[in-house]
Amino acid sequence: MLPPAFCVLLIALAVYPLEGTGYGIRFMLQLFMWIALAQSWNLISGLTGYVSFGHIAFFGMGAYTAGILIVKLGWPWLWASLAGGVGALVLALVIGWPCLRLKGPYFAIAMLGLNEVLRVAVSYFEGLTGGGSGLSLPALYASVPIYYAMGLVALAVTALAYVIVTSRFGLRLMTIREDEVAAEAMGIDTFRYKLYAFLLSAVGPGIVGGLAARDQSYIEPISVFPLIMTITMIVMVLFGGKGTIWGPVLGAVLLFTLQEMIWARFIYVHQLLFGAIIVAVVLLMPRGILGVLQQKYNLPRTI
Amino acid sequence: MLGQVVISGLLAGALYAMVALGLGLIFGVMRVLNVSHGPLLMLGAYTTFWFFQWLGLNPYLSLVVSMPLLFLVGVVLQRFFVSRVVDAPELSSLLLTFGISIALVNLAQLAFTADLRSVEYLTGSFLLGPFAFSKSRVIACLFAIVITTGAFLFLKMTRLGKAIRAVSQSREVAQVCGVDVGRIHMIAFGIGSALAAAGGTLVAVMVAIQPEMGQVYTFKSFLVIVLGGAGNYPGALLGGLLLGLIEQVSSLFLTTQVNEAVAYVLLVLVLLVRPTGLLTGRAQ
Amino acid sequence: MATLLWSLGAVTLALLLGTAPAQAQAPIKIGASLSLTGTYAKPGTYQKEGYEVCADELNAKGGLLGRKVEFVMYDDQSSTQTAQRLYEKLITEDKVDAVMGPYSSGITESVAGITEKYKKVLVSPLAATTSIFRQGRKYIFMVISPAEVYLEGLVDMAARRGLKTIAVINEDTLFPKASTAGTVDMAKKKGLQIVLQESYPKGNTDFSALLVKLKAANPDIVAAATYFDDAVAITRQMRELNVNPKMFAVTVGGDIPEFYTLLKQNGEYVYGSTQWDEALPYPGQKEFLSAYTKKFKHEPSYHAAAGYAGCLIYAEAVKRAKSLDADLVRAELLKLKLRTAFGDYAVDHDGFQTAHKMVMIQWQDGKRIVVWPEDLANGKARYPTPPWNQR
Repeated sequence: MLPPAFCVLLIALAVYPLEGTGYGIRFMLQLFMWIALAQSWNLISGLTGYVSFGHIAFFGMGAYTAGILIVKLGWPWLWASLAGGVGALVLALVIGWPCLRLKGPYFAIAMLGLNEVLRVAVSYFEGLTGGGSGLSLPALYASVPIYYAMGLVALAVTALAYVIVTSRFGLRLMTIREDEVAAEAMGIDTFRYKLYAFLLSAVGPGIVGGLAARDQSYIEPISVFPLIMTITMIVMVLFGGKGTIWGPVLGAVLLFTLQEMIWARFIYVHQLLFGAIIVAVVLLMPRGILGVLQQKYNLPRTI
Repeated sequence: MLGQVVISGLLAGALYAMVALGLGLIFGVMRVLNVSHGPLLMLGAYTTFWFFQWLGLNPYLSLVVSMPLLFLVGVVLQRFFVSRVVDAPELSSLLLTFGISIALVNLAQLAFTADLRSVEYLTGSFLLGPFAFSKSRVIACLFAIVITTGAFLFLKMTRLGKAIRAVSQSREVAQVCGVDVGRIHMIAFGIGSALAAAGGTLVAVMVAIQPEMGQVYTFKSFLVIVLGGAGNYPGALLGGLLLGLIEQVSSLFLTTQVNEAVAYVLLVLVLLVRPTGLLTGRAQ
Repeated sequence: MATLLWSLGAVTLALLLGTAPAQAQAPIKIGASLSLTGTYAKPGTYQKEGYEVCADELNAKGGLLGRKVEFVMYDDQSSTQTAQRLYEKLITEDKVDAVMGPYSSGITESVAGITEKYKKVLVSPLAATTSIFRQGRKYIFMVISPAEVYLEGLVDMAARRGLKTIAVINEDTLFPKASTAGTVDMAKKKGLQIVLQESYPKGNTDFSALLVKLKAANPDIVAAATYFDDAVAITRQMRELNVNPKMFAVTVGGDIPEFYTLLKQNGEYVYGSTQWDEALPYPGQKEFLSAYTKKFKHEPSYHAAAGYAGCLIYAEAVKRAKSLDADLVRAELLKLKLRTAFGDYAVDHDGFQTAHKMVMIQWQDGKRIVVWPEDLANGKARYPTPPWNQR
């Protein structure tokens, strides 16, 4: 069913924690997180063409939901993270319901401001969230289980992408992307499909947000709603190939590794590079690296 | 207190209106949401700062420098980048201008460093009874009014202005009438950038200048366009004033924290209830 | 597909290779992540410079335990996530012998869990928030005075002059909030009335509505728990709106030279709190100043001095323990009482600083004059602050 090379890779990743250093494990766990984030962004923006500039809001929502449950109610982190996914889902419903009725540019504007509002909400409900002081989780060293959890989420979201892209549902989403007016004329209830995609795209970030909160043991508004994370998500997907299954994974792996090994030392150059990559991809490689490879090597459409 | 705040709001609103008009022009003519509008404003502010620093040029005089300079920048951006995606799905132009905005902000970080700069030219205020009006804000408002009026006269009276309005209404028809649409696109983007630069120059005297300063204006400009109605140029004016007022008044009755959320909730409400804008009758 | 597998494989391989055990080196490696870029770039860089001056001084005197001292420092970009990764890297991959703290309470809080996990002593020169040190952690030590007492001088001076009303505003992040809580507490104890208390979001630039409210409340004193950008903006906008309290103080930012460079005349009469000033009568000041200015060509801020002192304090404990073993060093740090160019050091059982004193400065004629406490002051406060239009 799955290609053997892929199975070998999965096994290698599964046994890595036995060999790896604390740093290596944390690196891989964050890589899984980015794969999950990029893939989730792909579900809404890559497939439907609705650019979600505020997607990191779901990550932050998941982080705070899980954090509050762990600190105030003593929930175990795994359940708290799943609850984080649910929290993100609720947020997506609340935001998506009004905003997805609008056409693309207006949706983008609405999402742009979302982060700020959430930051304000966090500060407002200080008693619950610790406001600007942040939330400290009780000490727990669980890098290895979290590594597996993140890995599973990354796998799950990628599998979800596979299922969607190869289904009628996915086809409908892509129709919306190509020409929304025509899609509606064909009788597709665009609002409903957009909403489903949006909801699905929020769960992944919600769960990994919760896991990341547990891993870092401390969250404050600035660290969970930063613009740079949205930018990074977007660049990863664009670079790898939006609307594909493996594009986001490829983009995440390449960019995160490069970032960690080289660019992180030159922060402004690094961000500048991201901006330049976005421009270059949009103008020259709209289908990302995978798109280029697809043309060159005649790869299957759904990849 | 309320009186002071209302006047502060209107003063700020005039500035928002001018900057938003720039964004609105670009959107109206090309249907491109220029996410890099804020960074263009920032570049205008830095232009003013550097000319003040090196040549001692009066910041208000530097309008003569910053506006043409950013007009050119806008033209270049349009010609080499944006023009390629004008017909593509909106996703592309959004992402493109998003990428440009990141690039501009980080170029500024590298070139100018993140150190705060300021143009210490005009501090202090006019005292009128119990009201105190910051001198720089009042003058900024006056200039904004002059520039915006100038822009409107341009759009209404000159041939170029009419051509721009024609393309905003219908590109195909304008083309048939002999308008060089490509040229109009470049000019519109240039003017939009120049208006952003003017905003930057005026603001440079009031706030600390740093590479990220423009981001908040991008969102506010979007908000004004939504309030006034996309493509509705006079609407942008009223939208700007309205935003300025709402911001200041809500800060007074609520706390500064909640301020940003108010603007946002307003945005979502307007988008839901009257997506064509509060002040426009015709859909664009 | 193949590309993906290859790249994943390459990454895994690189990481596995990178974990080969390091050879035992002669110099003592001390690791730290500092904020060299991002929001905290300035103070983070100063702190790094302080560490370097300390290392030079130790090495000039024969090193520590007979070995050279070498700092291994990374840039955490003012981000808690990055800092955590870096401390983990320093400890597990670079295998440093010891670590020193990063800049800011927020980042220190986020890495404290890691240093506790690996049982490494963390002397934290720039973490001022009490809560970090009250969570039962064993290996973390505070050097500077806590956030809560930053404005102790202001409250004390105000009470002695018989002032009655105070307004407190703050940025909504960890340190300013703690500072505000402490200020409000001290004010109440001294019988002052809080007429306004409001916080503003980080990154806020427009304080006009807030200041309008504040002006209407007519406080004798205005206390602002700030960082740098907001301190500058608030001062400027107070001038624009003609807000005239008899005393106006900020916390962080008021003592940095750039404060006056940006505000010029408008910075006069503003009080600031600082953990250290070069005019203070502490031993070793001259040596520190000359070594620092020679190496970096500008004057040190308190962040540099704190970094310098923190490193010296750690070194002293190691000397007394005659070892780098974390538990032995920890025991010494708990007992240690030391006075450096930065001031006094002594901690309680939680590692919480008890001896160090904050001072208040006031900008007078473009210079910082220490005006409180009396035994450390080198000038008198100019009181009351005259209204803007009478200057």
